[in-house]
Amino acid sequence: MDVTLEIHRFVEDRKWIQKYTLTVKTGMTVLEALTEIKEKQDPTLSFTCSCRSSICGACAVRVNGNAELACEMLVDKLMKRYDTNTLTVEPLGNFRVIRDLIVDWDPKYARIKKIKPALQPKAEFTAETGCKQSPEDFDKYKKYAGCILCGSCVSECNKNTLDQKDFLDPFVFVKAEKLVADSRERSPEEHLKAVVDAGLWRCFNCQECTAKCPKDLDPAGAIEKLKAATFKYKIEETVGAKHAKAIYEDIEESGTLDESKLNIKSEGLLMSALRAPMAFRLMKVGKLNPMDKHPVNPEISTIQKIVKTAEKEEE
Amino acid sequence: MGKRISRRSFIKGAAAAGVVLAAGSYFTWNGKNIPEAVKQGDAIYDVLIIGSGGAGMRAALAAAANKDLKVAVMTKLIPTRSASTMAQGGMNGVTGVTDPADTVESHAFDTIKGGDYLSDQDAVEFFAERAGKNIYEMDFMGYPYNRQSDGSFHQRKMGGSSHARAAYFEDRAGHAMVHTLFEQCLKNDIDFISECQMLEICREEGKLQGVIAMDMRSGNIMGIPAKTVLIATGGYGRAYWIRTSNPYSSTGDGIVAGMKLGIPFKDPEMVQFHPTGLAANGVLLSESSRAEGALLVNKNGERFMAKYAPAKMELATRDIVAQAIATEIEQGRGIGEGIHAGVYMDFTKIPPSRIQERLGQVYDLSRRFAGVDITKEPVLISPTCHYSMGGLEMTDFHTGATRIPAVFTAGECSCVSIHGANRLGANSLSEVLVFGHVAGDGAAAYAKEHAYEGSQDVLSGACSKWMDHFDSVTSRTRIEGRTVPEIRDAMVDTMWFKVGVFREEGQLQQASQELRALEQDYAHCYVGDSSHVYNTAFEQYVEVGNLLQISHAIVQGAIARKESRGGHSRRDYPKRDDVHFLKHTLIFQENGKYRTEYKNVVLTKYPPKERKY
Ligand SMILES: Cc1cc2nc3c(=O)[nH]c(=O)nc-3n(C[C@H](O)[C@H](O)[C@H](O)COP(=O)(O)OP(=O)(O)OC[C@H]3O[C@@H](n4cnc5c(N)ncnc54)[C@H](O)[C@@H]3O)c2cc1C
Ligand code: SF4
Ligand code: SF4
Ligand code: FES
Repeated sequence: MDVTLEIHRFVEDRKWIQKYTLTVKTGMTVLEALTEIKEKQDPTLSFTCSCRSSICGACAVRVNGNAELACEMLVDKLMKRYDTNTLTVEPLGNFRVIRDLIVDWDPKYARIKKIKPALQPKAEFTAETGCKQSPEDFDKYKKYAGCILCGSCVSECNKNTLDQKDFLDPFVFVKAEKLVADSRERSPEEHLKAVVDAGLWRCFNCQECTAKCPKDLDPAGAIEKLKAATFKYKIEETVGAKHAKAIYEDIEESGTLDESKLNIKSEGLLMSALRAPMAFRLMKVGKLNPMDKHPVNPEISTIQKIVKTAEKEEE
Repeated sequence: MGKRISRRSFIKGAAAAGVVLAAGSYFTWNGKNIPEAVKQGDAIYDVLIIGSGGAGMRAALAAAANKDLKVAVMTKLIPTRSASTMAQGGMNGVTGVTDPADTVESHAFDTIKGGDYLSDQDAVEFFAERAGKNIYEMDFMGYPYNRQSDGSFHQRKMGGSSHARAAYFEDRAGHAMVHTLFEQCLKNDIDFISECQMLEICREEGKLQGVIAMDMRSGNIMGIPAKTVLIATGGYGRAYWIRTSNPYSSTGDGIVAGMKLGIPFKDPEMVQFHPTGLAANGVLLSESSRAEGALLVNKNGERFMAKYAPAKMELATRDIVAQAIATEIEQGRGIGEGIHAGVYMDFTKIPPSRIQERLGQVYDLSRRFAGVDITKEPVLISPTCHYSMGGLEMTDFHTGATRIPAVFTAGECSCVSIHGANRLGANSLSEVLVFGHVAGDGAAAYAKEHAYEGSQDVLSGACSKWMDHFDSVTSRTRIEGRTVPEIRDAMVDTMWFKVGVFREEGQLQQASQELRALEQDYAHCYVGDSSHVYNTAFEQYVEVGNLLQISHAIVQGAIARKESRGGHSRRDYPKRDDVHFLKHTLIFQENGKYRTEYKNVVLTKYPPKERKY
């Protein structure tokens, strides 16, 4: 059985799609396919990899529009899933591309730094005697310690596609929740404040990150937990209002959906955004009226329908 | 210059200080030459660490504790992708929290015995003394340890250990360590020089100049001046290419660079074959598989370890289990043929809930690569090259120093030596922490007392040389030579079949000749990519060149060591020979030639005994 990979190439400002055909062997991963192409057909094809056992995060790419760990995903599985002999391989979304499938991680570190990404141990703990924590407390955050920084979650994140400046990558929220939920942490509030400032409430709750995470870490769930934690730790009472407004600003932009590339795949996306009560109040008093301002979107009727339904729900 | 460098934003620390020098012509981000003279920088790194595994990052934290020192970590990938990230089972250290009967002496003894008495015992004692402290310290840094009911981290018992002393996070102990250290590095604003391949450590007229490296993204070849360089580039398992558990990056780059400076490669023949790689592709199934109770069974359904290590059975040391498996396969009691032959590892006696809880990664890997659900049926495994005991000679384990002033080393690329002829499971993560810390301190102390002695002209000269080399190598055409992967695969055939689990004089001699021939091929091999932007083909070209030199040293050491000890097993000399070989091999490289010397093993209170498990 043969597979054709249509690979999005990008080398020194030149962009093109190149097709490579090769024979699928049993157990052949996407990474093995890429490697075989590089070694036997085209040494210029570039990608990164290191562990080939899905733990280092180096090999994430987009196949047929979905982020996958190349070293983990079997080619025949994808061929079955999409019922095709041709797969499209692209670099991850929401990253700047350096070359071919290699993306630029630099800006991401600055974003991780925003949340004060290290444990601040409680005063009773020391470097000489370590910390104490019950197995139950360990269970509360252990899942989130499994993030391999592969970037799959941000690849399809709708909020990041719309605007990265006032939001973080889903994996940064995962790290934040890991710290906030860790009973050894002296000041969860500090991480939380940082996360709120960095856009926690602007998440669209579209679940793309959760769907894409190869480690099943549920970043969207982590975001929900962080939101809940802001109430528990009473971070900024008025934040609900702020967040509603923030979401509305984004929806306002999403009135021009075509340009912003925000794709309403599911009504759930807008629904969840519109569920915020404060937003409706703002809308009712006419402060926000995204639809009227941007009547350009062919999906506008869908949006209006969703808004109507949401309004009803609100009543 | 400002713009060009700011695009390489992750080295902005260096850019801000203006220390990144370059010579000859320049490439922009897009790979076009910039015939622009480059301003010379005026700042110099006090400690430049090559490698961002556990050793490199721990060293960086130690060195950067001196706020007035300029410290940076260079890595050829991004910081969190290393061999350290892949470690599974745990890190050893005596704390007594799970097993109060454990002692530092016991840890030292297990290590020495496990190493088949080739360890330097003073270094091992120092190591065992400190290893436990590291576990507490990592707890304080935020390591997500699995816990026991009293709130302490839990420790599990690993192969070759007489007590439960490996602390861990699930079956991803190294991943957790790397991310914890990385968080600390971010917190402490450590400079990373990311996605830069170190090509050479430059020293001339007895003076350390700095490091020559290629920025993968722009293709720029940079000379970075440094007062001290700390080599932490990891192991050389990729000499066995697909029959290894190591990541693609474990190509011994730092060892080769160190040898060029005159540092000997100590005990290169001591390569560890892990018994439980997937027969399909060499990927490791964790040591904790056996620790949690997985059984090894041959074609006839026999638990064959009873023949080889009746007391410890599956929990005997790696070398013994790997040799047992290789023998079973050789004598026709394996399953399958050729390079993919193996024996069964059976998990079905372990409750599925415990497999899910503690062996999740093992479960996933078996499922994916071998199509086997280990809760229901056994999976085929065979030995895989796992660890490099040999490495750059460290002359002072209190400082991480080598015999070359201002050059320090730590981690798997170094040879302290504590692992001797065979490393115990979970001793390596502790090693990288203990000696990463020590070497970071050592380099920092040296940097405080010394001025930068190098010259930027020398660095520029070295850069130009590499640039020319890049151009000439990448512009070759296919007709001229074999491809880099072809040469590499031939090298691996030689290494796996002639310098593998079992070795023998005639085959080793043949291996040596084959490697010589491959070096000839390599001299005019085909790379096939001339772009300056992220040229992984050139990167691999450099790596394979390094692996050829590493392989040569392995073979040379293996030929000279006419005995069997730990990971080095000679069919023609099946016994350990303490009279002649209670010694470390030192391989020096001089003008492409390899010279062997010996150095006595340091003994303290553990007299060599026969090793039985
Ligand atoms: C699958 C697996 C499982 C393991 N399990 C365990 C375990 O359970 N317990 C245990 O104790 N040990 C284990 N080990 C061993 C342990 O992980 C390693 O020995 C140890 O982590 C080595 O750390 P290091 O910092 O020395 O090197 P590495 O982690 O290998 O890091 C080397 C660094 O150097 C960089 N580098 C290399 N060459 C260059 C260059 N030319 N230029 C720039 N940078 C370069 C790399 O990018 C990398 O950042 C395991 C190893 C593997 C592969
Ligand atoms: S749920 Fe939020 S973080 Fe996740 S992909 Fe959607 S917008 Fe992004
Ligand atoms: S959260 Fe998941 S998808 Fe995102 S970087 Fe971490 S492991 Fe990858
Ligand atoms: S290569 Fe490491 S996750 Fe795929």
